[in-house]
This record gives sequence, C-alpha cells and structure tokens, in this order.
Amino acid sequence: MTAAGVDRAPGARAAARSGRPAGPAGLRLVRLHAASRRVLTCLLVLAACAVALRTALHWLPRSGFYSRQIPLTIEAGAATVIGVTTRSPFGEPERVAGRWLPFLRLGGGLALALAAAGALAAGSASAHLAGGTAGMVRDLAGFTGLALLIAVVAGGALAWIGPVAYLGITMPALGGGWTTPWAWPARPPHDRGAAICAALVFAAGLAIVTIRGARDSVRE
Amino acid sequence: MTAALAPAPSRRLPPAAPARLLRLELRRNPMLWLLPVLAILFWLGVYRPAMANPPFWNVRATDLQHAVLFLGPLLAGATAWVGSRDGRLGLTDLVGVTAVPRWAGQLTTWAAATCWAEAVYLGGVAVVYGVTAEQAHWGGPLWWPVAVGAAGVATCCALGFAAGALLPGRFTAALAAVLVFLALGGGAFALQNNATYAQIWLLNVQGALPRDSYGIFYPYLPDLAIAQLMFLAGLAVAALGALGLPAAAGSSWLRGAAAALTAAGLAAAGTAVGLAGTARLEAHGIVIPALHDAASDMPTSYTPVCSHSVVPVCMHPAYRSFLPAVTAALGPVLDQVAGLPGAPVRVTQVAVTTVQQESSNGVQLGGPVIGGSPPVVYLPLAGLSLPGEGSTTAQFVEALRSQDAPAILNTLVGLSGQQGLPGGISAQGYDVAPPPGPRMAAQVAVAMALAKVAGLSPGGVPLADDGRTPANSTRPGNARNPMVKGSTSVSAAQLAAARRFAALPAAMRRAWLVTHLAALRAGQVTLSEIP
Repeated sequence: MTAAGVDRAPGARAAARSGRPAGPAGLRLVRLHAASRRVLTCLLVLAACAVALRTALHWLPRSGFYSRQIPLTIEAGAATVIGVTTRSPFGEPERVAGRWLPFLRLGGGLALALAAAGALAAGSASAHLAGGTAGMVRDLAGFTGLALLIAVVAGGALAWIGPVAYLGITMPALGGGWTTPWAWPARPPHDRGAAICAALVFAAGLAIVTIRGARDSVRE
Repeated sequence: MTAALAPAPSRRLPPAAPARLLRLELRRNPMLWLLPVLAILFWLGVYRPAMANPPFWNVRATDLQHAVLFLGPLLAGATAWVGSRDGRLGLTDLVGVTAVPRWAGQLTTWAAATCWAEAVYLGGVAVVYGVTAEQAHWGGPLWWPVAVGAAGVATCCALGFAAGALLPGRFTAALAAVLVFLALGGGAFALQNNATYAQIWLLNVQGALPRDSYGIFYPYLPDLAIAQLMFLAGLAVAALGALGLPAAAGSSWLRGAAAALTAAGLAAAGTAVGLAGTARLEAHGIVIPALHDAASDMPTSYTPVCSHSVVPVCMHPAYRSFLPAVTAALGPVLDQVAGLPGAPVRVTQVAVTTVQQESSNGVQLGGPVIGGSPPVVYLPLAGLSLPGEGSTTAQFVEALRSQDAPAILNTLVGLSGQQGLPGGISAQGYDVAPPPGPRMAAQVAVAMALAKVAGLSPGGVPLADDGRTPANSTRPGNARNPMVKGSTSVSAAQLAAARRFAALPAAMRRAWLVTHLAALRAGQVTLSEIP
C-alpha cells in the first residue's frame, strides 16, 4: 500500500479508474498540451496571417498571377505554423505515458485548421479574394495536410518544408495552367477533383499525425 | 614542476582549422537532405519551362535568374533551421568558449549550407546551358543573369541563417521561408505598381521587355544586373555582419568589424536601390546612367540567314529555324508587290523598332517599319508568340501574316497604319478610323484587293464576294498590340472596286500598278478609275 492517490479529489480518482480525465483535469491536460505545442504563438501567427492577407488584398489586382500567388503564400504560411505546432518537446516519455495523446493531436490539429480558415476568411471579408473563400479553404486544407504529413515523416519542426516546396511547385502550375487536380491551387475554386485531392491530403495528414504523431528528431 | 610553469595553451588556430571546420560542416549539413527536394523544384520550376521555350540563350538565362523564386524560400527556411541549431540545442554557451570565435563558426556553417545550395543551382545552370548549347543556332551563355541568380541564392541563405541564429525558435524557419516568398512576390507586385525603386527586384531581368528581345542583336546590358548584385551582396553582408554584433560573438575588435561590415552592407544595398531608381527602359534593355557602358550600345555583328524568295527575308542566325515560317507568312504579299516602284526589296529582322514604357510595368512594342532607299521592311519578332512559346507554327504564321503583311500593303499604296488595313505597323495601335476621303478610298480599295489576292483577311474587313458593308469591328489583341481596335470603315463602292481589281488577271493588275502606283500613292486616283 502506498500513499499515491491519497490527496486526489474523489472526481479525479474516479476519472483515473475509468481512464478518462475529468472536467478540470481534462481542461488542464488540454491546456498543458496546447502550451507544450506553443498553440498560443501559433494563434498569434494565424492572426498576423489574417492581417497580412487583408493588407495584401487591399493592394493586389483583382485578377492575374499575383492575385493568386500572394494569398496562396499567406495560406501556406498559416499551414506551416500549424504543422510546426505538432512538434512535441517531450518525445518518447510523452508517447509512453500520454494515452489521450491521439485525441489531443486530433483536436489540436482540427482546431488550428479551423482557426486558420476562420482567420483567413475574416481577413478576406469585404475584399476580393481571387478564388473566393471556398478556394481559400480548399488550398489551406491541402497545405495543412501536407504540413502534417511532413511532420510525421521528417518531424514537426521541419513540417514547413511540405507547404513551402508545394508552393514552389504551384508557381509554374499557376502560370502554365496545369490541369491535374493534384495541383489544386491552379484549379478553379469549384473544381471537384481539386477539392477531393486537397481534402484527401488533409484527411491523410490529420489521420496519420493523430495516430503516429510528429516524428521525434534525434537531434532535438 | 608546477602547473604555473606549464606552457599556456595557444589560442592561435592552426592554418588548416577553417578548412577542417568547413569540411565538417559540409558533411553534417542538413541541406544534404534537402538536395532532392531542391532538384525536383528546379526541374519543375526551371528546367521544364525552359526546355518548352525556343533555344535562345536569353530566354534560358532569364529562366535561370527566376530559379530563385523556386529555390530561395526553401533555402531561407533550411538555413534558418541550420542557423538556429545552437540555440535550439542549448549549445550557445558551449560553442561560445571554443577556440574559434562564435561569429567565425557561424560564418563557416553558413558557408557550408550556401555551398550546397550553390551546388544545386550551378548544377542546374550547367544542365540547362549544356542542353541549350546543343540546341541553339547562335550565341553563347549569358552570365549576368546567372550571377544574379547565384547571388540571390547566397543572399536567401544569409538572410535565413541570420534569422535563425538571432531568433531561434520553432517557428523561425517556417516564417523565414514564407517571408522570403512574400518578399519575392511583393517585389513583382511593387514593380507592377510602377514603384521606381522596385526595379531592383531580384527577378527583374530587363524590365518589361520580352525575354527574346534583348541580348541577341545588341549585347546584354548588365546595368541592372550590376545594381542587383550590389543590392544582394549588401543584404548578405549586412545579415552576416549582424551575426557578429552580440556580445557572445567574439572580441570587441571582431564585433567592431562586424558592425562595420553591417553598415557597409546596408550602404551598398541602399546605393543599389538608389541606382535602380534612375533606371530607364530603352530599346535593348534597362539603362542605369551611372553604370552604363556605351560600348554596350554597339550592335552585335552577325551574318544573317536569308531566304531565296523573290523578296529575300533575312533573319538573325539565332532565329534560323523560324525563317521558313516567316517566309511563308510574308511571302504571298511580297510576291504581289515585288518589283513595283516603292515596294520593299528585302525583309530584315531587327530586335525592336520602337519601345514605349506603359503603366503596370507594361511595354508597347512597335510593329514593322518600312524605310530606306530602296525600301526595306524592318521586321521585329519580339512580342510575338513564337512557335514553342505557346503557339504552333501555323498560329505563328497566321499571326505574323495578319499583323505585319497589311503594313507592307499600306506602305505600298501610301496609307498610314490608321488609314489603311489594320495590321501591326503602328506602335500606338489602331482606333476606329475616320471614313477615308474619296482619294484615300482608292488606296484602301487597292490595298484590300491585293490583300485578297495574297490570301489575307485583315482587320475584320470582309473581302468576300457577298457585297456586305462591314461595320466597325474589333479583333483579338496580341502580344505586340495588346488590343487592336476597329478597322477602316469601308463603303460598298470601295468593296466593289476592290473586288473588281482583285478579279483582274495578275499581269494586267501588275501593269496597272506599275503605271498608276505613284498617282495612287499621291491620292490622285479615284475609285472609278480603278479597273
């Protein structure tokens, strides 16, 4: 017999028995997880992206290459920070001890993606965004999926490589009028194939990062 | 023996130490893992588009300078990651007490990352230029755009590295990459908005001039490239100098040197921006008076390649492969006018005839000009979509025929571009022309008849035999005249005269032209006098 658990509240003991974090403990877990991933900084960067988008849309032409390129760059920027937040500072100990980790990853990823979409939609409100909000959500989802996939493969800190490299690929696609749906930023906003591809990439990224988490870099 | 007698450890580095450090950094640099990604980006963003264009050295060189758009952001992010290594791993204090000053160590790390980045870029340059050497008919590689591209790569690395070293954090690399992308896009946008100083933008090669209009007939003007190199070098030196400013970077002497370097770099970048503000667009490129070498204004010597047609078409050897298409486009009209008094005796390709800077970084290029004695058609192809540049040979022939052949006929009968058949002769483009006077009506009718005989249908003026009276019309624009509007108002009498003249036997038509062309050109022939 040990003293462990003597000072716990009855609710916490019940939660420990059932394997579920109770209300305040669950909130604390979410808060600690968010703090370890620098979610607050991520939200600040997303807000900065929204401001940048609003500022850019004020000056950008309504059509043409640059009316697409600069908003796309800002969307990719939002996706990169979502990808980077998947990096865990704890690594293996957290994986072993954190049974709620997949749910926290899923919730965190979804919440940040929704926050990014909301922030960018707010940033483009009352301004002309080439491709519209639907196109923006599609492109953001695809970029975020890429960031999450790269986070699983190369580590959360390097998750930005996916969206940035893909953004580089979209430049000739935008100029050359590529028709493949996998180059979804170059497709019209209501292109069903492009939307399906972007959604698939997002779903795959979110699912894999939920199950496996971002790769822990040996050097970190 | 006591410890006090032991020799003090020397702080002087062995001569081979920097090279050894660089070798170590080269071997353990994370940029190695990015090489495949960079190579794929180069292939998709540079190599494929370059190979889809005609094998002109200037076009390929422009693509190579634009490679920074594809490589720069990723390099900035990667070097920010490299630069933040000590801070991320908590090694700042540890590396601060090594024999090598921290600043020197950081510079070595940057140099190693930049070496890999330059290896990718210069390897790509070698491949593109190697293939171009096999394909091109004339000329040699242009090195100024490559130098600007290489400097752009090094500068992206320096800026990213400085950001990572000075602000280590998990978001730094991502934000550095995105900010470089935004800067590159924003520069283009500033240039489009007529910001004078934005000429310094890294991807600006020769302003709004088409890529195939410079560096062939005249030497490549390096003025802007020199300013860009100065700007990029200044930025890189300032960023790297800023790494030596913190107290932990090294001795006070070293920090003083770093401060001086930073100031010098900023001064160089500022000077370059100021120089770019004085740039002006001329016919053969961007001229910056303070950097301009008058020797660059001398045309390049070459031996033209000419067709063996009645009126020879002579082109620059770089365009040798387009000679059959140009001959096919202009041949029917030239055959009609060959030997007539005042008709051109030769078609000679030129770089451009007139250049007019327009708003939003636009440019208006003039069409062909007929001049000299005996008359020669000076034909520019810049601004036209060449075969391989998004149009087929048939489309190119049709575009050239519809834009430039009418100019020959207009000149022959003594009409200006605005009075005659719509074509490409005017740099200002065409507006809806006033109805021609009775004298001019005969000139228009003859030009229309010759156009019909030559198989042209210029400017939406119907030359069919149904006798319809055409209304003012528009026709699609083209690269040289973005929107060519309207056409000459033509009366039923003019159409009838044109049909009548076109229906004459060729020998009779020619005999009448030989006799009456001077009078027609002077406006002394009426519609009723046309046979």
